[in-house]
Amino acid sequence: MEIDYRRLLEANNYLRQLSDTTYWLCITRTVQESKLFPMNPYMLLSYLNTFYRLPTLLREIDAVTPAEELGDRAREVSLKVNTVNAAWGMPAFYLIGREMLMNWGLLGPADAVQDVVDVLDFSRRFNLSYHRNDGHLTNKEFGDRSQYLPERTLQVFEADLHGVTPGDRLHTAATKLIAQLSQFAFLAHCECRIGIHTSGPYNFGENRQLIVRDFFELTEGDYPWLDGIATQLPHMNLTIPIVFKDTNFHLMDDWASFEAEPAYDANNIVAVGMYTADALTDGYVPVAMENAETLAETMENYREILNQATADLWKRIATWTREQMIDAGALVYSSVAKDFAHLAGTYRQDDWFQIDDRVQRFKPLMNDEYGRDNLAEMVGLLGFPHQKANEYTMARYSGLNQNMLTGIPYSVLVDDDFAPTAGNQLSGSSSLPPKTGLWTTSQGRLEIDEYNRRAREFTPSVLQGANRYLDEEWVKRNYRSERADELYKLTQRTSRNLAGRGAGLRRADLH
Amino acid sequence: MSDSAQQATVPAHTPPKWGTTEVLPLPARFNSAVRELAAKRFAATGAAWKDVVFARQFDLFSLSDAQAIEQAALDDGYRFEFSATVSLESEPHKYKRPERTGATFADGESSDGRRQVGVGDNVLRKSENVVGEAALISTTEQVMSYLADGVPPGTIAVIDDSGGTLTAPIIEGFAGVICLGGTVRSHLGILAREYDVPTLMNCTIDAISDGDVVEIEVTAAPPAADAYETGDTGHARIWLHEKGA
Repeated sequence: MEIDYRRLLEANNYLRQLSDTTYWLCITRTVQESKLFPMNPYMLLSYLNTFYRLPTLLREIDAVTPAEELGDRAREVSLKVNTVNAAWGMPAFYLIGREMLMNWGLLGPADAVQDVVDVLDFSRRFNLSYHRNDGHLTNKEFGDRSQYLPERTLQVFEADLHGVTPGDRLHTAATKLIAQLSQFAFLAHCECRIGIHTSGPYNFGENRQLIVRDFFELTEGDYPWLDGIATQLPHMNLTIPIVFKDTNFHLMDDWASFEAEPAYDANNIVAVGMYTADALTDGYVPVAMENAETLAETMENYREILNQATADLWKRIATWTREQMIDAGALVYSSVAKDFAHLAGTYRQDDWFQIDDRVQRFKPLMNDEYGRDNLAEMVGLLGFPHQKANEYTMARYSGLNQNMLTGIPYSVLVDDDFAPTAGNQLSGSSSLPPKTGLWTTSQGRLEIDEYNRRAREFTPSVLQGANRYLDEEWVKRNYRSERADELYKLTQRTSRNLAGRGAGLRRADLH
Repeated sequence: MSDSAQQATVPAHTPPKWGTTEVLPLPARFNSAVRELAAKRFAATGAAWKDVVFARQFDLFSLSDAQAIEQAALDDGYRFEFSATVSLESEPHKYKRPERTGATFADGESSDGRRQVGVGDNVLRKSENVVGEAALISTTEQVMSYLADGVPPGTIAVIDDSGGTLTAPIIEGFAGVICLGGTVRSHLGILAREYDVPTLMNCTIDAISDGDVVEIEVTAAPPAADAYETGDTGHARIWLHEKGA
């Protein structure tokens, strides 16, 4: 993208919003440490890896499938390119890596300007499209709320979810499976939370709210350490919509974490369901939703599989060296945008699962204490010298003259002693055993070339042709039309109770 | 042009107008060392910044430079604080040995054969307190042992790790958890809620030993939403059941 004054203004506005939001997210949590994983060292390395690699990979993806089209895909079903990974993590990790290099004097604020503008432009277009239904750029801008699903999907959830009461078989199976999924997701993601995602809340009437809980990377796929793990599980991702009574989810932040009043209590769950989705699914695919007994039995079975998988994976990880743990964690973080490549059909394992040569040189600095304190300095204290602003300024949230992320100086339009890009030649390595397994998809277990081929040829039916532009402002006045009926019927195809019912339904018609 | 004059013309190496240095000692030490080295190396190139920043980036800073910065700290007698046990075990010469922290909870009152030995933040309110035998867990070897032999019924784990992965395969087996760090929002707190394992986070305790019979007050109210900003925490109590009582 050509850089001009207007684009820089837009880029810097978006960057400052990310800066403020990320600061708020960081100061409302304590530094997460782990006795198992050297988390803070791997986080710092991941930011650097993102800085050097992401612009090149995004340009290739954007050329095949533009960012706004990827946002359309993420708005229809639960994909790993979601709130925490793609909407917040991808641009934030990239920009935090830039901060580290600037603080070391290895980068000037004008350097890599083309990369910065391209990453922010991609991210902004994705976020606008992802949040099209609620009309915001981020959860924070929406008041810590996340409502990206359309009515036609929510109606299917409302009609098809199974009612539960505490102590019944399905309630017990669902709560136990969610606990197991959370546990496995933390472990598979090297202690970080990005395998878990929550969106909503949606108003379900009668003092009830729906939240949609998603769990990703549940078996063999991109992560080399999951080869041979949980292979009896036929799904890479699971989505569990949950309806709560008498619970107000007052916060759904850009880390896809929630807070509720009263606190999240499984005893208030009144309905649940289970679905899966990936880059090849045409909408959410129901999983064992035929009846409550079948769903409970399947949840119990999946819980057993994942319980064993957790033990298997833990034993594998417990044998890792410190460097392997750091590489794995860094790659989890620096690959948060990898599922864009799956959607575009451009995925290559080495693109996303190598620590770049330019990053390897910093490893000796990354002892546990430096990792912890440099992270705290950068995202909490904002103590890097260049993070200070002039003494009259008062930042959002802190009221202090400091910002986490550094803007692009407008002088790039008139000066020339800077290098506009970090370059597009990627070379790296990993201390982890290489991936040898297949990729688990909704169309079976595939080699990566076949997965890419099928992805390139696939567009979900609700996004084909003019369907893409039939939003709810259009539905509001056209719900009696054949086109609206056809659109709703596409989403209703796999519904147990709404198949073929069309666009005219209101809540009262569902029950 | 002198080195200092040349450096002053390069934004990457000009000290920022409004900042000074990092707050924390190790970041200040390491980052200053990298900054000084990068500026010196760039000055030695005699080239324009734009021709060096990426094209000759390994001349500015290399793997051996990072090794030298770390070694200089170690040569000065500096030893790093560890967070992951693998760091201490794989590079023991670089890290401080863990010190058994002294009692951080002042003597509590004794009554009914119980002595209060700590406080924490309750994750999820239960109808009854939980009593069990304490097991101090901090290593993968201990977890491996529990995996092989099972967690004895009634075990209350005392964990100094607010992460969810160290005890991942065995957490469900605990009758209760006393976590010496984190908050109710930490990963371990999240998992405790999901698994419905009675848990106190952010605990301050007097010495508790393996096999001690302890009681955790999981009937206490969880901290309010703004408790960690206001400091209104630590309302759930921990008691030691005194022997012979």
